[in-house]
Amino acid sequence: MERANDILEKAVFAAAEFQEFNQEQTNKVVEAVYRAALNARISLAKMAVEETGIGIWQDKVWKNVIGTQLVYENIKDEKTVGIISQDAVTGISEIAQPLGPIFAVTPVTNPTSTAIYKILICLKTRNPIIISAHRNAVRSTGEAARICYEAALAAGAPEDCIQMIPAGSRDFTQMVMAHPRVALILATGGTGLVKAAYSSGNPAIGVGPGNVPVFIDESADIPYAISSIIKSKTFDNGTVCASEQSVIVEEKIAEKVRKEFERQHCYFLSHEEALKVEKIAVVKDSMSMSPFIVGQSVATIAEKAGITVPEGTKILLAELSGVGKEHLLSVEILAPILAFYTAKDYHSAIKLCIDLNYLGGIGHSAGIYANDDKRVMEFSQLINAGRIVVNTPTSQGAVGGTYNMLPPSLTLGCGTGGKNITTENITVKHLINIQRVCNRKMNDRFFGIDTEKYLDENCDETDLRYEYHKNH
Amino acid sequence: MFDFDFNPEEKQLTCIFKGRMDTVVSSQLMAELDSKYISLSENEDKNALLEFSIIFDIKEVNFISSSFIRICVAAKKRVKDGKFSIINSDPFIKKTFKIAGLDDILNVI
Repeated sequence: MERANDILEKAVFAAAEFQEFNQEQTNKVVEAVYRAALNARISLAKMAVEETGIGIWQDKVWKNVIGTQLVYENIKDEKTVGIISQDAVTGISEIAQPLGPIFAVTPVTNPTSTAIYKILICLKTRNPIIISAHRNAVRSTGEAARICYEAALAAGAPEDCIQMIPAGSRDFTQMVMAHPRVALILATGGTGLVKAAYSSGNPAIGVGPGNVPVFIDESADIPYAISSIIKSKTFDNGTVCASEQSVIVEEKIAEKVRKEFERQHCYFLSHEEALKVEKIAVVKDSMSMSPFIVGQSVATIAEKAGITVPEGTKILLAELSGVGKEHLLSVEILAPILAFYTAKDYHSAIKLCIDLNYLGGIGHSAGIYANDDKRVMEFSQLINAGRIVVNTPTSQGAVGGTYNMLPPSLTLGCGTGGKNITTENITVKHLINIQRVCNRKMNDRFFGIDTEKYLDENCDETDLRYEYHKNH
Repeated sequence: MFDFDFNPEEKQLTCIFKGRMDTVVSSQLMAELDSKYISLSENEDKNALLEFSIIFDIKEVNFISSSFIRICVAAKKRVKDGKFSIINSDPFIKKTFKIAGLDDILNVI
């Protein structure tokens, strides 16, 4: 406890100093951190892959670019200090206040990019950050934090504005999470972590896992759809939680889709091969992916499963007939393994998407390939997802900033379905307390009413509505 | 409103519903279904129904009220586990059962 107190005391002192900063000083710190982090994008990416054994370093560079350059470009002109808006018509002015120490948990799959992104949005909002890295990514996360911290200090940021807590002890992490001086928890990770964050008694923005279904409609451009799915599912060996988990098609286009996958170097597993992959990819009792295959290449997965696949295979596809515990490959697997479903018609296909969506991925993301707006909207209304990305690779699309105008973010809200408070991509606006200064602007309609009428039993809603809306 | 199709050989009762299953319709349904179940039971013994399977075909249903959901749950309880199913649901109605947390229990297809 003493250790936790010590960390939080430092953070609170940093917070106190930070709230004296104006927008210009704040921006200077953020710019310096962004520059240093972007310059370190390659070394950090390589270090993360080396340390965790997960993913592809070139793609990790890309993620670092999202977490630094794209996030920076998106937030750099945002007003996050002092008076951020004034409306003469309503008489309401908004003032941004920092929250205080933010406790940020970062995942093993995107360690450096998530750390940098969280640091940038915390500093931009004048909040000190305490980072808890995944135990298998302590070194790379720590290095990212160190680079950012040094740059921040050089640009005049308060001492201890970025701190790391020692990894490994779950009890200690929970103690810090529940510490009364923590202003907000920013948790990215598995369900357990998010639950712990929300149960801590401190406000939390926790975002959990996904299980992203992708529907290819008959109106879609199939070769394009397949190449887009491959681009997304192979990205960093499928470690993005918004990556495609299953592809659903109608019977009438199934053969065409299958051939296109094969033409583009994807491999359909036989029933026996699928069982072998299932064995190493999913833990049966908990119905969750095995940590040992997260972010592994097809070659590694094939070797572990004891199957032979053509060289250069990009994705392994397993044809499944159902969803749930009898079909283990229908759960979220952050590796280049995709479930493939053929449905007899459009309605059956959509119903399958609903089942997949509700199998551990409520509120996260979903994808649709279609050139029929009506179907896009119908699909979107039926699916419970914070982001429904259209004709777009879901990994990159949901993260935002590249294929669409969503704010670039490495923490994707999943709404109440995912036990989260928001469905939005988390960014600076979620890390400020907005105070509203409300100048006196009388509601003439209300004050124009003879208030005695409210006390008169004979006046009903019709009379009172008339009174409220009459021209005075 | 709804039709029955009873197959005694397979001990299968299929109920085909049409239109809006709102609260008013559902309250009538409940009584009619009850009498149907009883007539199917030997010697009016409700337990005989346990050996049956009941299928609700909702292909032409475009709205269900919570009362209709209750009817489904009540029907499910009359038969053994796995002997009740709801077929031909529209995706929006499938979602309704999903949100109610009953799509697995009621075997909504």
